[in-house]
Amino acid sequence: MATTSQAPLRFTSHHNLVYRLVLSTLTGRTVHISQIRASSPTNPGLAPHEISFLRLLEAVTNGSQMEISYTGTILVYKPGLLTGSASGVGASGGVIRHELPSNCSRGLSYFLIPLCLLAPFSKAPLKVLFSGPGVITSSTPTGDMSVDSVRTAILPLYNQFGMFNNVELRILKRSNPGPNGRGGGGEVQFTFGHQIRLPKTLHLMNPGRIKRVRGVAYSIGVSGSNNARMIESARGILNPLSPDTYIFSDVSSAPLISVPDRNNANAKKKIGLGFGLSLVAESSTGCLFSADVASPPSGGEAPEDIGKKCAFQLLETISKGGCVPPAAATTMLTLMTMGSEDVGRLQVGREVIADPNMIQLARDLAKFGAPGWGIRDAAGENEDGDVIISVVGRGIGNVGRKVA
Amino acid sequence: MVGKRKRETAVVSRSTKTKEASPPPANDAHDIFRKYFEAQFEPIEADVPSKRDAEESGSEDEDNIEDYEDISEPDSDWDGVSDESDEDNVVEVVEHKDASFDGLMDKKARKAFMSSKPPSSADEKKKTTKTTKKDDSDDDANDALNLKHDLDLQRLLRESHLLDSASELAPTGKNRLKALDLRMQDLGAKESLYKQKNMPDAFRQGIKAKAISRDEKRRREAKENGIILEKPSKVTKSDNKRRERGIGGSSIGKFSGGTLNLSKQDLHSMQSSRGRSSRGGRGGRGGRGGRGGRGGKPSRGRF
Repeated sequence: MATTSQAPLRFTSHHNLVYRLVLSTLTGRTVHISQIRASSPTNPGLAPHEISFLRLLEAVTNGSQMEISYTGTILVYKPGLLTGSASGVGASGGVIRHELPSNCSRGLSYFLIPLCLLAPFSKAPLKVLFSGPGVITSSTPTGDMSVDSVRTAILPLYNQFGMFNNVELRILKRSNPGPNGRGGGGEVQFTFGHQIRLPKTLHLMNPGRIKRVRGVAYSIGVSGSNNARMIESARGILNPLSPDTYIFSDVSSAPLISVPDRNNANAKKKIGLGFGLSLVAESSTGCLFSADVASPPSGGEAPEDIGKKCAFQLLETISKGGCVPPAAATTMLTLMTMGSEDVGRLQVGREVIADPNMIQLARDLAKFGAPGWGIRDAAGENEDGDVIISVVGRGIGNVGRKVA
Repeated sequence: MVGKRKRETAVVSRSTKTKEASPPPANDAHDIFRKYFEAQFEPIEADVPSKRDAEESGSEDEDNIEDYEDISEPDSDWDGVSDESDEDNVVEVVEHKDASFDGLMDKKARKAFMSSKPPSSADEKKKTTKTTKKDDSDDDANDALNLKHDLDLQRLLRESHLLDSASELAPTGKNRLKALDLRMQDLGAKESLYKQKNMPDAFRQGIKAKAISRDEKRRREAKENGIILEKPSKVTKSDNKRRERGIGGSSIGKFSGGTLNLSKQDLHSMQSSRGRSSRGGRGGRGGRGGRGGRGGKPSRGRF
């Protein structure tokens, strides 16, 4: 892949940076991204979480090169081969340990969801242990979903593409965002052991009706009664609509991170206190819709409000219609694009396709050489005005598995 | 009981009276049939629809309340609800139960959902398969019995040569030990328990010589009779090879009794830079038909 001598694809701005890097790695095209926060007087260039993602990319690939300009506003990334955690730079004992810096303000799902996209195409099974003072497992004010939602709403989607063996997301330590929404002390182990040559072609055109709602309420370092209060209020809204509603409760102590100071070299402090709720609705055809709300880092919000907000957010996501929520649409469409050279179809809500992120993804995919999407109105009784996206696969798939 | 029945009959008789006086409009089919029946035979007494009762009693309640009391008063020692009147208005109990608050489901579901695996919608399917399995538990028992018989038969076939003297199925004494030994080997034991490990060298040589001579005799006779036998298996010279050593042991010499014993060859290999190329001398010393590797042992010196 690294031998291609094509000119690099040129992009600007930090928007969709992660997915551009993922697509670059999957297609093997070099990317040149410029004007990354160039207009920001205080924080120009790449943010800590973006740097951290680049490090993660370096760990799971072999032979990728990246050049960052002095100010950090220009990035050139030449992808290598996806090796997984067999003998990568960061892998020891088959596990890549990835530490996130303490000034990271994004939730772990910011790293996990793109990593999930890369994992099926790697040569060896992928095992990554996320640790360090920047791992936030809950949902964040920056708009990332919680790790629970990744496990219950994103990972099951891979089942539809034929990847189900040995996929695990183990939450060893939970953490909410720390003070000012930065840092946390969580620990999460991610295993993706089902590597394939090509994802299956997907035809998902029946959203079905919501059959059940499940959820996880977590409180970290605070009283477990917060969980009960969140569950109570969320159930109050959801139960009349879906009787099969069940929300599990998980209470854990606050994680400790070391903050060495002058007087005490091994001083530790508690970080990431708070609570939150993750809800997942499953339809009769297996479509998953998720919602996530956590207590803000500044505090001052009652658990009842969080529960209510989360329930309403779930209802809103479901009301957008289609077979995929906005949060999962990127994953689905990218995997469909990577699939065999066949037309896959996916029904999505009108609001989902009109999302700026989706349009950006479509443009980026086109730039990477994927054929355009065909969009038409869904057939049948279509009250919500859903559309069907037809995606032609590129048939690239797993380069590491081409010679079997 | 008696009181209630009496009251009903009283009502019915009244209703027939009222009908004769002024027949009400027969609005439903049941009434038409009923009227027809009564015209043909005699008035029906027992099975009166309670609805009619209610209607008529309602219309005549105002002036008949006292009558009612009069009728019911004589046997007012009312003792419980009667069986017959109960059949009409069976109490229907509606119990509202939330399915998701099932205590049993709680633990299982929690385990399934809160594990590190992504939850699948297949857990219901598992439940159904489990229940079906329980249903044919008697089949399972039958299968187990068959399996046991099968095992017995196989053992009998395999160990029948031990049983030629004794007629019992379960061997005893010496035969039992032999059978046990056979089973152990069947399960993967490397050697028989009763194989003698240590014996005088002369004995061992004798046993080997006897085995060889027996084999030779068999082959000669087969050749004379024109029978083609399998080719003689090549004798492996494994004795001359360096044996597999345990993990963590020394790579040179032999460790026994807390001491590392080095043979002269080991010393030689250590001292000479050529290392293992000096092994030629060892093969030359095996004087006993090329198989006497053990003859090298006494040459080991103890340090």
